[in-house]
Amino acid sequence: MEEFRQEEVTSALIKKIKKKIEAIGRSVRIMEVCGTHTMTVYRYGLKPILEESGVDLLSGPGCPVCITPDEYHEIIISLLTERPKTIVASFGDMTRVPTSKGSLQTAVPAASSRLKIVYSPAEALELASSYPDCEIIFFGAGFETTIPSIAFTVKEARARQLTNFSLLAACWLIPPPLRAILESAEVAIDGFLYPGHVSVIIGSAPYRFVAEEYKIPGTITGFEPNDVLLGIISILDQILEGKPQVAIEYRRAVKTNGNQKALALMAEVFEIRDAFWRGLGLIPQSGLALKKEYQEFDALKRFSLSLTPSIRSFNPSCRCGEVLRGVISPKDCPLFGQVCRPESPYGPCMVSHEGACLIHFKYGLRWSE
Amino acid sequence: MCLGIPAKIIAIDENNFGKAEYLGTRVRVNLSLLDEINIGDWVIIHAGFAITRLDEQEAQETLNLLREISQTDKNGF
Ligand code: SF4
Repeated sequence: MEEFRQEEVTSALIKKIKKKIEAIGRSVRIMEVCGTHTMTVYRYGLKPILEESGVDLLSGPGCPVCITPDEYHEIIISLLTERPKTIVASFGDMTRVPTSKGSLQTAVPAASSRLKIVYSPAEALELASSYPDCEIIFFGAGFETTIPSIAFTVKEARARQLTNFSLLAACWLIPPPLRAILESAEVAIDGFLYPGHVSVIIGSAPYRFVAEEYKIPGTITGFEPNDVLLGIISILDQILEGKPQVAIEYRRAVKTNGNQKALALMAEVFEIRDAFWRGLGLIPQSGLALKKEYQEFDALKRFSLSLTPSIRSFNPSCRCGEVLRGVISPKDCPLFGQVCRPESPYGPCMVSHEGACLIHFKYGLRWSE
Repeated sequence: MCLGIPAKIIAIDENNFGKAEYLGTRVRVNLSLLDEINIGDWVIIHAGFAITRLDEQEAQETLNLLREISQTDKNGF
């Protein structure tokens, strides 16, 4: 693993990138779709070096905590505060997103401890077994990387005949927002770094429309610094050759046709639907709902909840929406680092460990001041 | 949240769970999303599930490519 971080190699890769930029004759703008990639380029200090070399990296919508709209949190907070004997399990970052009703952590009295932070969806199942007289709701957020494990968990709930387990699915598909971003033409993008672990599941075919219809290069890449640089070189090569495609530079983990077993499990449990994303609005065929056969596990049906899309997020001055579309950088938000800080976040992008604002706050300040 | 940790499978039980090790830490991992996993395989773990098996040969090829780029750089051409 170390070898994917070797600094000697890193500097050779950067030199190569500079040469290619010279050959192209202008700077290029690449969207790193995934928050984990954002993390790599900041943590290893690649961002300013790349910028100097002529590669401008934009963060994209690849953080499930950030793009889940407020209404998901609001219905679950209402349910939890109004209904006794209810336990909500979710991933840590999801519980700190501020909404008009507070966040799950601030709105739910700690003493009642009816909020459980889990690392794996499977832990929510264990809760259902441990608290048979309570309703356990798993508030599951994720992209294709996480969705198969959520699907597995729902199937397992059926196999174990659990009657006190349900799911509030905040499950999102990565390719549709890319089309939405390209269609809006708000920002000119020369290439995409595709998310490595979403691609482990879906393979390369679902991104093909980007190369074929929009003629934009892209490469699936891993999360070590040298992986990311190889991915950028691959995109620059595609620009130079005038041949946009969906390249894979993360072959040790990603197969062209993805993880078929995981995809089959997703398709068995979920169906695709149109969905609202924070900052991006309604995107056709971009979300998932439990199939009819699994409706007994659907928290929306079980507790007659409805998701009315909020027109705007709770803090109107929070510019997460533009950050997620790559239109602005976190530092362009007037609240950034002022009132909006990790200990007092105004939006999810400052909450999530993969949120562009938190990452910029943690790693970016040393070179942007 | 799509963070994945590479780890080596050191044990597999009959319920399709494995024990995996990375940098001295041992974790329990659900292997249901993969076919044919053997002790000694490297996987990527995400949210308690192994989501892919790492291909050693492919890893080696990428490393060779990286070495080649750094060698070419050193030689100045
Ligand atoms: S800095 Fe804070 S307020 Fe501004 S966009 Fe980011 S999360 Fe929202």
